Amino acid sequence: MKIWEIEIKSMNPTLEKFWNIPGVIILYILFIIAFVLFAYRILRLYSFLSLGGKENRLDHLGRRTKLFLGWVLGEWCTLRSITQKDWAGIGHFIMFWTFVLFFVNYAYFFVWGAWHPSNPPLAEASSFSSIFYSVLDFSTLLSIGAVIWALARRYIVRPRRLETNFEPAVILILIFFLMVTHLLGEALKTTLFHETSSNVIRLAFASFFHGLNQSTKLAYYYTAWWIHILILLGFLVYVPYSKHLHIIAALFNVFFRSLLPRGALASINIETAERLGVEKIEEFNWKQLLDLYACAECGRCQASCPAYLSGKSLSPQELIKSLKIHLLEKGRSKKEPTLQLIGERVTEEKVWDCLTCYACQEVCPVCNEHIDKLMDLRRSLVMTKNRIPETTERALRMLMMRGDPWAGTQHLRNDWTKGLEIKKLSKKNDVDILYWVGCTGALDDRSMSITLSFAKLMKQAGLNFGILGAEEGCCGDPARRMGQELVFQTQVQRNIDMLKRYNVKKIVASCPHGYNTLKNEYPQFGGNFEVIHHTELLAELIKNGKLKPNKVVDKKLTYHDPCYLGRYGGIYQAPRDILFSIPKLQFVELNRNKKDSFCCGGGGGHMWLEENIGKRINVIRTEDVAEAKADIVVTACPFCLLMFEDGIKKKHLQGYIEVMDISELLERVI
Amino acid sequence: MNIIVCVKEVLNPEIPSDKFRIDTEAKRAIPPEGIPPIINPYDERAVELAIRVKEKYGGKIMVLTAAVNASVSVVKHALSMGADDGVILVDQAFEGSDGFGTAHILAQAIKKIGNYDLILCGREAADWDEGLVGPIIAENLSLPLVTLVKEIDVMEKGLKVKRVTLDAYQVFSVPLPAVITVSQEVGRPRLPSGWGIISAARKQLPVWNAQDINVDFSQIGISAARRKLVKLFIPKRERKCEIVQGETPAEAAVKLADRLRDIGAI
Amino acid sequence: MSISYQGVLVCGEIVDGKMNTVTRELLNIGRKLCDELNQSLSILVIDSSNQEIANEAIALGSDKVYIVITPHFTEFHPDVYTAIMAKVSQQIAPSIILFGHTDLGRDVAPRLAAKLRTTVVMDCTHLTIDAETAKLYQTKPVYGGNAMAVWASESFQPQIVTLRPRSVIPAEPLPSRKGEILTINIDINESRMESKLLETVKEVVKGIKLEEAKVIIAGGGGVGGSEGFKLLEELAKVLGGTIAVTRVPCDEGWMPLSLEIGQTGHIVKPKLYFAIGISGALQHMAGCSGSKWIVAVNKDPEAHIFKEADFGVIGDYRNVLQQFIDECRALGK
Repeated sequence: MKIWEIEIKSMNPTLEKFWNIPGVIILYILFIIAFVLFAYRILRLYSFLSLGGKENRLDHLGRRTKLFLGWVLGEWCTLRSITQKDWAGIGHFIMFWTFVLFFVNYAYFFVWGAWHPSNPPLAEASSFSSIFYSVLDFSTLLSIGAVIWALARRYIVRPRRLETNFEPAVILILIFFLMVTHLLGEALKTTLFHETSSNVIRLAFASFFHGLNQSTKLAYYYTAWWIHILILLGFLVYVPYSKHLHIIAALFNVFFRSLLPRGALASINIETAERLGVEKIEEFNWKQLLDLYACAECGRCQASCPAYLSGKSLSPQELIKSLKIHLLEKGRSKKEPTLQLIGERVTEEKVWDCLTCYACQEVCPVCNEHIDKLMDLRRSLVMTKNRIPETTERALRMLMMRGDPWAGTQHLRNDWTKGLEIKKLSKKNDVDILYWVGCTGALDDRSMSITLSFAKLMKQAGLNFGILGAEEGCCGDPARRMGQELVFQTQVQRNIDMLKRYNVKKIVASCPHGYNTLKNEYPQFGGNFEVIHHTELLAELIKNGKLKPNKVVDKKLTYHDPCYLGRYGGIYQAPRDILFSIPKLQFVELNRNKKDSFCCGGGGGHMWLEENIGKRINVIRTEDVAEAKADIVVTACPFCLLMFEDGIKKKHLQGYIEVMDISELLERVI
Repeated sequence: MNIIVCVKEVLNPEIPSDKFRIDTEAKRAIPPEGIPPIINPYDERAVELAIRVKEKYGGKIMVLTAAVNASVSVVKHALSMGADDGVILVDQAFEGSDGFGTAHILAQAIKKIGNYDLILCGREAADWDEGLVGPIIAENLSLPLVTLVKEIDVMEKGLKVKRVTLDAYQVFSVPLPAVITVSQEVGRPRLPSGWGIISAARKQLPVWNAQDINVDFSQIGISAARRKLVKLFIPKRERKCEIVQGETPAEAAVKLADRLRDIGAI
Repeated sequence: MSISYQGVLVCGEIVDGKMNTVTRELLNIGRKLCDELNQSLSILVIDSSNQEIANEAIALGSDKVYIVITPHFTEFHPDVYTAIMAKVSQQIAPSIILFGHTDLGRDVAPRLAAKLRTTVVMDCTHLTIDAETAKLYQTKPVYGGNAMAVWASESFQPQIVTLRPRSVIPAEPLPSRKGEILTINIDINESRMESKLLETVKEVVKGIKLEEAKVIIAGGGGVGGSEGFKLLEELAKVLGGTIAVTRVPCDEGWMPLSLEIGQTGHIVKPKLYFAIGISGALQHMAGCSGSKWIVAVNKDPEAHIFKEADFGVIGDYRNVLQQFIDECRALGK
């Protein structure tokens, strides 16, 4: 037969000659061109990466592999969002595995299949390749469905987190045609060469071509096949120029993810530091830069970010994208990029907008770390450029001079102990556990009742605890979150020396920020203590029967998960255990709860930052409580407590909604 | 432009008034628990002004402090703001020195340092609230003095400074070397920078005693004090506040007006 | 030969051809001290050929008025005052020298003490003669006003004192009093006049001067911005007073420094003092604690001002003052 002056002999398009060149040669030439373009781009991208600093991520290889397998092969990366009613993970799972199967298929083909005529084993349904191709075709069919669903969802339903520009459409349409040409081609192959086949999908598609003659079918087959190859190779070239770079970069990013405890920001070694914070893009380390490649621009981070959702200028997604642009610009030309990294590419306002609430990193499917980049920028702003908002400066100054950030407090640290007999730690070391009160719990009028309630509960339970009293100094968390790493380390060193002097082994803290810093960041400086949060302690005391909640609360309760306790500390159940031990409890969960909890607005140094743009974050969260029709919102963090008090006042809901710390509530029901 | 700044460590003036305690026997204030002493806020502003002059006109800043117990942290604080060097003056013999004694000690140290163009002090110390040391140093060293300065400009010969007055300010020209005391209208002192803190922490500061600076022992110490502290006490608050209440702020306002009219205030 | 120190010498300050209020206050306390010690009160005024000032000084209690003529006088140059006071003190040998704790007194008193190798106590609020020892007891606020210190000179004479303005009220002048007016010619060594006064800038105060106001409406950080002061100005107009500020509005740039009341600003003693949005820091209270009545408006119920005031309203001043102004107007009619 002759189609376009070609003589068709076999069903393998590469074994034919086109314009007198063997198909396989054409194939290989096309492949080599595509691969060279691809490899060149990848190598360029890699060279930009290597501008970044050193970072060792080869620790815990076993653990890394295990995480990687679950995350990637199990597609846990996107399936996790199902908890947020985001079903995209299903489509992604389908497409991912389809591509894996295709990859196996092409690998086989390029190495072997291109040279040899295909055997007709499809007739034997039991053979490996027959099963393989059945699965592949089924998967392809599902993928077509997934692509149509994705297109409809993105461009018709338009959920907030998905962009509606042209790039995703291009990719989706290419995938669509890739899948379709595969199925059509294989269907045509079946009708041309194997009338019998147990592959139902192919047979079904083949039915479209019943009426056509052989030559037409062959023409369609070859067309479909070469179009398929061209789309595939085009895709290969396109991937590293688009957000689909994440196909490659995310694999590495997930493998090299941070295994540090979540709440531990990277430390700076003062002895050897050559710079404080990051001012230029190449001052990030290579892993931080890899994040920029791994970003799939899915928008989940932005859709969870309280700053973005309340109208501030920061968007985590846009941050990653703009940093990537900056890196590419820097890599391409040896000169400095046209925009300054801080101030122009990333405005100072954005650097300060971050609450470090971890919502972005919690939902990111490629394990990107947004927070540490913002913190590095913040560090250079504060420590190198001395640019710091006025209220933050005042708090930092207080912290440096007086050991607590609460300017204007009318209290000294021991004031709350008046009338109570609380043991002060002494060299004799006759206490079982140290109660780390925290600056807020000791010096703020409203938060002091947390301290009082918790202390009274511990006394009632007969716990042998002590406090540091006037000797206690700030744990350092505000300083580190404000970017002043040096003040932080000074505080930490002072505190560790003091704790070691008193031979402290076990600490309980009622503030999740103190809890996080003591537990996860003090070990960076040699301070290893057993640290628990007061909700854990109270839950245990209830479990052991030392505290018995027996009064009824005649109001509907809800619980707000503090960021530093929930997402950072993983403590979601203990406070709920406490609440559920209250008899006849009326409880409702907030719409955004547990790891999806919405920040109160107080973290990341924001207790001491003014919020002038957009809607107030604590007001948004108060509205969540009102929406849930709860009378009392219970929380476990003094910052959350203060933020809710302010939010309730701003919404004029005093008398309708009350906020209490869990220890205040528990004291009432014992 | 070589600048010497004299700084003093004082009890933190920002503790709540209710928490202020004194030892009436020993006639001194009791440092509140857990609140460390800080650099005298006026001296901090003197350091700030010195750094501004250095930033604009170049030079070096040396910080001095004199105490019975070494107060390294105030000098380190000044260094971390941007000063270059510091000296700690410590001697038991300083105990009980009044303003004249302290000024003598500092003047002797300044003489030993020798190479200086400008001496800056805070206008007064936030504990005894007097403002003696700066002017007396000027007398001891026979240098021109301008007090209560908020701005310094370096001219061809000498300085042009703005001195704060109740009405606004005066402008003086001063030849160098000179002594200048600094007022709080200078503005907010800068927060120590990251590199400032690091280099301050690494710096080793020389410690001099009375003999090193050739002090005249008859002019320092409690025996040389020209006045005696007879009594230190906390004054009783005589006013009792009557809070005028109301359902609304407007109602309270009306009640207040009536109340004031009743007592004849308005 | 030991000098016998006698009498009290007041360093007079002349402003715009008139005796400064603080000088009148010094004459009052000086007179009281002299009556107790049975010594004479003198006042020194520089280059004022104004006979009225001398007569006023005598009417207020001075036994002697020294008018110093000097060819080098530049108004308010501290160097000039220091040199003159030193020379005159050596001539007259007073046992007590009084200054006001003003820009001038702050500058001159310590230097004079150093020059005369004698003692000085700054910013005193009370001066008494101890009955037992006949020593001058000088009481002054310390630690920002948290405490009071009482000083006495060991044996150094003359005892130099600066007095906080408004600690004492000026006495009623008695025109029938008699006193001596003496003129001294002083030649000062110019070589020590190294700093030159180039310019004196005064902010023109519209309306009533703070030191003379009977009603003062003071605003602090709680006012929130320069806009807020318009409400305070309205209240001042209704009550026939004037406005003032604490340190915060000056630092923020909302209002000029010349209106600042506090330990390092104006010290005032009005009949009625409104503290609007003021926390009550002692450095500020030092400037207004002499007021007869203090009324505080602050939205923070824990603010320290409520421990320093006679009357208080807890609330946002924006909600309180307008109604207050209207009610005042209504009462006025």
